[in-house]
Amino acid sequence: MKKVLIMFSMLCVILFCAYPSGASSAEVMVSAAISLKNAFEEIGKLYEAKYAKTKLLFNFGASGDLVHQIAGGAPVDVFASAAQKDMDDMSAKGMVLPGTRVDFAKNSVVLVVTKNSKIKSFEDLATERIKRIAAGNPKTVPAGRYAAEVFDYYKLAPAIKEKLIYAENVRQVLDYVARGEVDAGVVYATDAAVRGTEVSVAAEAPELSHKPVVYPIAVVKGTENEAAAKAFVAVVLSKEGIAILKKFGFRIP
Amino acid sequence: MDSSAFFSLRLSLQVAFAATVLIIIIGLPIAYLLARKNFPGKEVLDISLTLPLVLPPTVTGYYLILAFGRNGFIGRYLYEWLDWSIMFSWYAAVLASFVVALPLMIKTGRAALESVDRNLINAAYTLGHSEWETALKVTLPLAQRGLIAGIVLSFARALGEFGATLMLAGNIPGKTDTMPLAIYSLSASGDQEQATGMVVLLTSVAALFLYLANRYSRRIF
Amino acid sequence: MGLSVCVNKQLKGFTLDVSWAIGDELAVLFGFSGSGKSLTLQLIAGLMKPDSGVITANGTIYFDGERHVNATPQQRSLGYVFQDLALFPHMTVRQNILFGAKGVPENERSERYRELTETFYVAALENKRPSEISGGQKQRVAFARALMRRPDVLLLDEPFSALDTPLRIEMRAFLKDLRKTFQVPVVLVTHDAGEAASLADSIIVYSGGSVIQSGSITDVFNNPADERVKRLLVGQEDTLRTFCKRH
Repeated sequence: MKKVLIMFSMLCVILFCAYPSGASSAEVMVSAAISLKNAFEEIGKLYEAKYAKTKLLFNFGASGDLVHQIAGGAPVDVFASAAQKDMDDMSAKGMVLPGTRVDFAKNSVVLVVTKNSKIKSFEDLATERIKRIAAGNPKTVPAGRYAAEVFDYYKLAPAIKEKLIYAENVRQVLDYVARGEVDAGVVYATDAAVRGTEVSVAAEAPELSHKPVVYPIAVVKGTENEAAAKAFVAVVLSKEGIAILKKFGFRIP
Repeated sequence: MDSSAFFSLRLSLQVAFAATVLIIIIGLPIAYLLARKNFPGKEVLDISLTLPLVLPPTVTGYYLILAFGRNGFIGRYLYEWLDWSIMFSWYAAVLASFVVALPLMIKTGRAALESVDRNLINAAYTLGHSEWETALKVTLPLAQRGLIAGIVLSFARALGEFGATLMLAGNIPGKTDTMPLAIYSLSASGDQEQATGMVVLLTSVAALFLYLANRYSRRIF
Repeated sequence: MGLSVCVNKQLKGFTLDVSWAIGDELAVLFGFSGSGKSLTLQLIAGLMKPDSGVITANGTIYFDGERHVNATPQQRSLGYVFQDLALFPHMTVRQNILFGAKGVPENERSERYRELTETFYVAALENKRPSEISGGQKQRVAFARALMRRPDVLLLDEPFSALDTPLRIEMRAFLKDLRKTFQVPVVLVTHDAGEAASLADSIIVYSGGSVIQSGSITDVFNNPADERVKRLLVGQEDTLRTFCKRH
């Protein structure tokens, strides 16, 4: 019994010695859709170089979940989503700081397949050979909604209904394709670029086939660091920011 | 592997450890109550405490936000009185882990305590020992294997907790990214190498803890 | 010195309604399994609560339904030996026996421990676990434990039923000696007529939750009150013959 108590207290001391810090004075929390992770992390470095005194924190996740968190009172200063719908939701709830909403990037929707696949177009998805297709869940993932729109455009819905596998975020769709778990998946062009060595882009969905994939960014109402939040948005929209976005495959509206 | 991996590891251990301590302090008495007493609403209590086991963690996380978010029915009072919200802090990670792992302690603990021979407890009473004394000297020692199994299970679950943590604590590198969250981020951004490295690290640490727990569960009392 | 029991308890499909009293003697609750004998012991010990009635021991009221008195098992000065002995498997013999010394003043504790372990020949088994000693030894440890607090009454719930015949006979002698050394009223539950015959000063016959006859052992065996009592004695003719010859 004694031995256990000693080990226990030692463990307590070790673990809690370096207590994870609480809030620091100047902090900006940016909640962004996960497809923006790579681009934003680099833009983040730009920001930190310019504003050394402010601590920049990122929170990446599915746009739908991010809205839930902000609605639940999470201390977020800037929100960037992968679709207009989530930002519209935020607006409707009165959580967007007026005048700060800007569309900052565009993306295109592509069909990705494994390296030696024979699929050449969206229509190919209806053939017998194709057994599994991955896409985001249209209820929570913007990319999923776009995928659904593209499928409708090509009138594929009845043929592929049984083959669809929903994932909770785009990167997971990409992963499934890269591992060969599915025959094809629908992701953004920017995602496909990230794993360019493992997947091929079979086709790009024409702009007509889906609502434009425009990424909005805005400052969250109730932020405690308005100036710093606006500064971050400014960096995203700056020349250097745009260059980084383009580097990762985004287009500029 | 860079320093952020070790930060995540330390954070994960801190969170799992804190959650487990809370689980023992709160879960053990509840398991005892469920095992030894009868009261109205007993099974309702058991079922509602077991729910997080059945619900997908993200759903549990959603309910936690409803309860503890700044506008939540518990969180709003915290914010009013203390000007503080639990969301996006490491406490949120502890709370999320606590809620999802508690059912494991309660279910296992209850079964272990129920399996103690009634006659032994009755004998202790007839020999003059109060319920509290009997619990300490007879019931708990005799149930200790099952109780420790419950504690180890809870710790393991807390260490691997992801969905509810993601919702309540957010995935904030350097602040709330426990190992499972960090692995998810890395893997999602295509950084397979780092992700794999962290997976190996987490698995080794978890295996070590389980080994130690098994070794020392033989005789404590 | 005595025990007086008058209780009524309703369970699913079974009603217990008994009333009897004993003095400083060894009384046997005798009857078929399921007739309410063990239940009576549990009620006397306070492990279950009667629906109504009065239980007193040595002048102390343990339970009084009308006056809302219900002493906890801990408050009742009883020694109880369970059917399976209920020795704590995770404690040594010594720890088991000392566990029964709750409330005994420090200075008397070791004295009583020595006295009991010597009387019951279990002193040498001090550091063994219950799993390491024989059936007969376990019996004696259970008795020692129950007597540490010098209880007002000793309750025995078929303590010898799991033993083989030679050991059972040995334990009967042991119990008789115990009565001589420690003057304490004993209530023994059994369905074995031979055991009743050899140990009882008085016998209380149970059937279906009530007492159908009570009195001295000679009375009951020679004048069974009705068919039910006779049935209990069926197959025990040899015992009865030997018994009656001696009396």
